Amino acid sequence: MKRLMALIKREFWENKGAFRTTPLVIGGIYIVLALMFIITFNHFDNEFQSLKELARWVSQTDAGLRGDIIYGANIAALPALFGIVLSFVVFFYLLGSLYDDRKDRSILFWKSLPASDTLTMVSKLLSAMVVAPVIFWVIYVLTYIVIMLIFSVVVLYLGENPWTLFLGIGNPFKAWSMLLLSYLAISIWSLPMYAWLMLVSSFAPRIPLLFAILPPVVIAVLQIWIEFLQTFTLKKNLFGVIGEWFANSPFISYGSTNGNHKPVATLGIPLTETFGHEATVANILGRLFSTHMLIGLAVAAVFLGTALWLRRRATES
Amino acid sequence: MSNVIEARGLTKRYKGTVAVDNIDLQIPSGRIVGLIGPNGAGKTSALKAILGLATYEGELSVLGKNPGKDRAALMEDVCFIADVAVLPRWIKVWQLIELTESIHPKFSREKCLEYLTSTKITPEHKVKQLSKGMVVQLHLAIVMAIDVKLLVLDEPTLGLDILFRKKFYTNLLNDYFDEERTIIITTHQVEEIEHILSDLIFIQEGRIALDCSMEEVQESYIELIVAPDKAAAAREFKPLYERELFGRFIFLYKNASREQLKTLGELHTPSVADLFVATMSGGVA
Repeated sequence: MKRLMALIKREFWENKGAFRTTPLVIGGIYIVLALMFIITFNHFDNEFQSLKELARWVSQTDAGLRGDIIYGANIAALPALFGIVLSFVVFFYLLGSLYDDRKDRSILFWKSLPASDTLTMVSKLLSAMVVAPVIFWVIYVLTYIVIMLIFSVVVLYLGENPWTLFLGIGNPFKAWSMLLLSYLAISIWSLPMYAWLMLVSSFAPRIPLLFAILPPVVIAVLQIWIEFLQTFTLKKNLFGVIGEWFANSPFISYGSTNGNHKPVATLGIPLTETFGHEATVANILGRLFSTHMLIGLAVAAVFLGTALWLRRRATES
Repeated sequence: MSNVIEARGLTKRYKGTVAVDNIDLQIPSGRIVGLIGPNGAGKTSALKAILGLATYEGELSVLGKNPGKDRAALMEDVCFIADVAVLPRWIKVWQLIELTESIHPKFSREKCLEYLTSTKITPEHKVKQLSKGMVVQLHLAIVMAIDVKLLVLDEPTLGLDILFRKKFYTNLLNDYFDEERTIIITTHQVEEIEHILSDLIFIQEGRIALDCSMEEVQESYIELIVAPDKAAAAREFKPLYERELFGRFIFLYKNASREQLKTLGELHTPSVADLFVATMSGGVA
């Protein structure tokens, strides 16, 4: 356990820029944008007259609807950029995870330490599945808090009560825990892809990106072509399978169902009226305990097993 | 005396070529072994098998463990420095020390820091900021702070200046080496290590060309330097190898009579380098 923690720390140190600086920059951009918003208002009327009007108008809207919108923004709209960037960070992290130390030969140092190849791979997989998402999540939550503080100060100055206006409604803790749950569920759901990236990272002699993308593309194009030759129709091919897999991943998207602004989980299962997230949790869990997931895990196991086998032999020549 | 390394029929094949060819090897504990051979002779391949870094054929046991299967367990008692500076370039010195400390149960932070005080390396340095020599210094400081039973050094001082090389080998001998430990060193600078070696193994084309202790070298091998007029007489004693230097002839003998040779010229114990050259040109085996 101590060794695993040390290895995970190593991954963090090596990827500090991607894991920590990147979400900090996004958070910083959010905060700067929030400040710019306020300064812009101040610039055009230094009495904040129009902002005051706005706040008053907002305070008169229906608190329930306002809560829904704030909740929805907190759970899906605001963290969207974090989520997208996180997926890129994890993608490139995994692609280099078993490649970089082979390239600069520092693998010879790592292999001189009494840590097994299995443990090393576990540490890298956990970094991608847990460490990076949790860091992004923490920084998102902090960003949200800072922005809310800024707005609270402004609203107080404008003579409204920030608590009834936005702080006390739209339960942020529930939104945050849902978001974290969704991040971790996506990690599990994405295991086949993560495993594929690690496999590529483990065998690519150079340019792992090419090796990661080319084989699936070639297979899919061949499938399409053969299908077309045989039946003159286009059936399901690897593109379709991968695309569907992504579409089904348990991320929370923000959409409106039956006219209300309700955050919904994918497959369109809406949250219940009272912010009860049981439906979404059930939806996510249903995804993770599906036959699809089981097949995905089997595929991931084959990829990871092969990656490990290659890792053991990475110092052959 | 238990053997640290025991190999029977150790073979390593790469596509089409045999790098290590059916080697039998026993290395007891408490020795400093020089593994010497020309480039491409199979030294590194043999060491990689011993360190669990490569697959092999044949039987191999290192400290009673199978390196092919138990590399991680083996590394608790074995340490190695590969032939180039391979420390990760992004890491900071303190991070490296902290990592090694938490992964290696036999690492002593105090010892490592003590070795580093004699260098210009500070904890905040990144490896990529260090010169090649400093990287090697850092790596050596870490390795020497690990209390292992077997230390494998593959060209450990490559790219270092002579002052540091001397100091390193002195430290190795005085502070590090003891009866319980075994050190295997490969290097091209044979002259620098021959005084610290206890055993000598020459490898040529994947096979062992010579495997003996330094005492045996001193007992069995004789170097004779004669003037040209004595050369013919010296050849009578079946030298393994001869060469000419500044108009004098130098002969190398194995198990020849010192009494008789003494009448022809000066007798010396051959240097490892000379013995190596003689062996590689096919004389000694």
